[in-house]
Amino acid sequence: MRGIVNKIIEVSFIDGPGSRMAIFLQGCNLDCLYCHNPETKKYCQNCGRCVEQCPAGALTNLDGRVTWDKAICHGCDRCLEVCPHSSSPKTTLWEVEDLVAYILENEVFLDGVTFSGGECTLQADFILEVSHKLKEKSNLTVFVDTNCFLEEEKFLTLCQNIDGIMADLKAFDPVLHRKLTGVANELIFQNLNTASQLGVLYEVRTVLVPGLNDHPQEVKNIARFIRELNSYTLLKLIPFRNYGVKSYLKEAPNLPEEKFFELFEVATEILGSRVYGKYSI
Amino acid sequence: MKLETLSRVRRAMNRVYEIITDTSLDYKDKRHLLAAEAENFLPYVKISEKAQNYFAEGILCDLFEGHAPYRPRYILPDYQKFMEKGSEYLNLKPPQDLFEAVNALLIIYRYVPSITSYPVYLGQVDELLEPFVLAAGEELSEKLLKMFLVQIDRVLPDGFVHMNIGPKDTRTGRLLLKLERELKQAVPNISLKYNEETPDSFAVEAVKTALEIGKPYFVNDRELKEDLDPAYGVASCYNTLLIGGGSFTLVRLNLKEAAKKARDFQDFIQNVLPDAVLAQAEVINARAKFIVEEAKFFETSFLAKEGLISLDRFTSMAGYFGLYECLEHLTGLKLGQDKEALYYAEQVLKTAKDTLKRVPGAYCNGTGGRIGFHAQSGIDSDIDVTPGVRIKYGEEPDIFTQIKTEGRLHKYFDTGISDIYIFDRTARENPEGVLKIIKGALEEGIRVFSFNTSDSEFIRITGYLVKRTDVLKYEKGEVLREDTVKLGAASIKNNNTEARKVRIIGERNSQ
Repeated sequence: MRGIVNKIIEVSFIDGPGSRMAIFLQGCNLDCLYCHNPETKKYCQNCGRCVEQCPAGALTNLDGRVTWDKAICHGCDRCLEVCPHSSSPKTTLWEVEDLVAYILENEVFLDGVTFSGGECTLQADFILEVSHKLKEKSNLTVFVDTNCFLEEEKFLTLCQNIDGIMADLKAFDPVLHRKLTGVANELIFQNLNTASQLGVLYEVRTVLVPGLNDHPQEVKNIARFIRELNSYTLLKLIPFRNYGVKSYLKEAPNLPEEKFFELFEVATEILGSRVYGKYSI
Repeated sequence: MKLETLSRVRRAMNRVYEIITDTSLDYKDKRHLLAAEAENFLPYVKISEKAQNYFAEGILCDLFEGHAPYRPRYILPDYQKFMEKGSEYLNLKPPQDLFEAVNALLIIYRYVPSITSYPVYLGQVDELLEPFVLAAGEELSEKLLKMFLVQIDRVLPDGFVHMNIGPKDTRTGRLLLKLERELKQAVPNISLKYNEETPDSFAVEAVKTALEIGKPYFVNDRELKEDLDPAYGVASCYNTLLIGGGSFTLVRLNLKEAAKKARDFQDFIQNVLPDAVLAQAEVINARAKFIVEEAKFFETSFLAKEGLISLDRFTSMAGYFGLYECLEHLTGLKLGQDKEALYYAEQVLKTAKDTLKRVPGAYCNGTGGRIGFHAQSGIDSDIDVTPGVRIKYGEEPDIFTQIKTEGRLHKYFDTGISDIYIFDRTARENPEGVLKIIKGALEEGIRVFSFNTSDSEFIRITGYLVKRTDVLKYEKGEVLREDTVKLGAASIKNNNTEARKVRIIGERNSQ
């Protein structure tokens, strides 16, 4: 089985506990107003628009398929700018065995791997196979960074075969959630419950966007929800910053520092030291 | 007087006048340079014409140690013995409490000679002070240790002054790490000896400190104990030497310059490199003999008389640098990028080491009668040549490949080797993750792992630290307390220190 990988970061300190390889899979099923990585949303249509625009000549059109030569690429991301399909020509197909071998080459430096995206659970079967093979051969843990917008049964299977979920909860209020992401959050709450009961809901992450979900009641509701769920899940609050935003909110202001601390305090009153995150621009 | 002698005298007088009237130097710097000028008025210790030519060609370099050395370059006194016995010369009895212990150490530090005139080794400070700290209690200890650290920074303002802690978890070790985080001083340099017994909670404290202020280094205790001596210390930058001993001298060989003399790689390995290494050993031995036999250091130093150092724990060091450029010149391969480069790198190191170890090292009893093999980290005047056997700054591959490549090379070096890894600021959120990488690196053979964050106020130069704000002050012409700042400022420019790749980028667009 092959996975479509957007990129791999050999080691990351912000994608779960300890030292983790972060594997970003291509494809997403939400349409967030503040998306930073719209190029991860769709699969390449091989339209060839990027081929004409690549200044390094790293992209070619071979029999109707766009191919990317990593060795020549300057990394200017011009191809991402011109892509009309929210995709990237720089994705790579990885066989399960090859990815597992690559991870194990560096096992000594890692506590585990984290699948992220895009929305990595769109390729849940690939994750399951990698996780299965990895666990046969090592003690590495597998975490999944997800929006939890996945069919319940599939989500359950996934949770039963990995070590941790880092869940994006964009908003508590259903109307607000739909406005921010284009979808309802009922299924997401279901899945958060599932992950919690299985003991794998490592953390919930919420980006606080000015004028949208930066209301104390929102934060209060999210914190209370987590408190009701269990005694272990962490809440990470992330201040919205427009740097790197390529979607609708690219002109929106950053969340002011005072506002962030106010909301942080609201969450801390409910969850205590289980809340973390910091204000950094 | 002969004309030649007369012009030599004139030159020396001019130089002395220049030093005395130099407004960028303070009193202690002037005194140090004047002493060097006096020493260099003597002829160089006797060496062959061939060796002299290697100096002239820029292949050998003695790091401005002086023509007639009168003290070893690095000395690592046995401070434990000093604490147990006191010192007759210093008129000090064995300390009975933390006040006396701190006082005793601060006194003896002033009496430990070195090439920099400052002590380059402060001892295994956590072990030395632990019994007194336990007796004194937390509050008092914190206050006294703070004064101890402040005094070291102010009275011994030199980035090569080096303290060791670990591998055991101690109250003192934890207090020192915490205080260093608060004080944010460039001095002293610190090494943490790390092994399987070092508890994670203590190691994480050290990681947190290093992510703030670029120290301590993590030292591969298991490997160095096995390879060197169970009682070893880390002095100055990355010099691993015996406690109760030290190194007479450090003469280094520029592999890049040497490579230019070779027809091809085979010629380099068979002829050029062995010849240069033999000349290097000759100079080293001449210098060591001068210290012992003519300057009679060991017959006059109270450290030797009172058994705090002993001749049979000393060695000398042969340093190597510019391997990256040497390989690039001879094979066209880039270390870290091209896999075959590693094979050639090992050939170079094996040849140099085998040649060196065939020659008896004068008074090198600390390393089995042979000269120590050392990766020299570079100095401020090196231009376009990479320190030690590191990968050229800015050309580093991914961090895992870099560690694995260098891990293969570190095992050759018994008297010091290192590399520096720069993380981005997200590392501070996850010190446990950093520790995992360090553990992996040590497992892969890295002997000294030093690291820093890209936004740190501190810049690690070759091995010592300088503060960014001090470099700016120096560039504006201010006279500074720390004599290492001017070395650092020149190094940053010449060695492209700031081009080091930031290895772990967490600040991506992950919202």
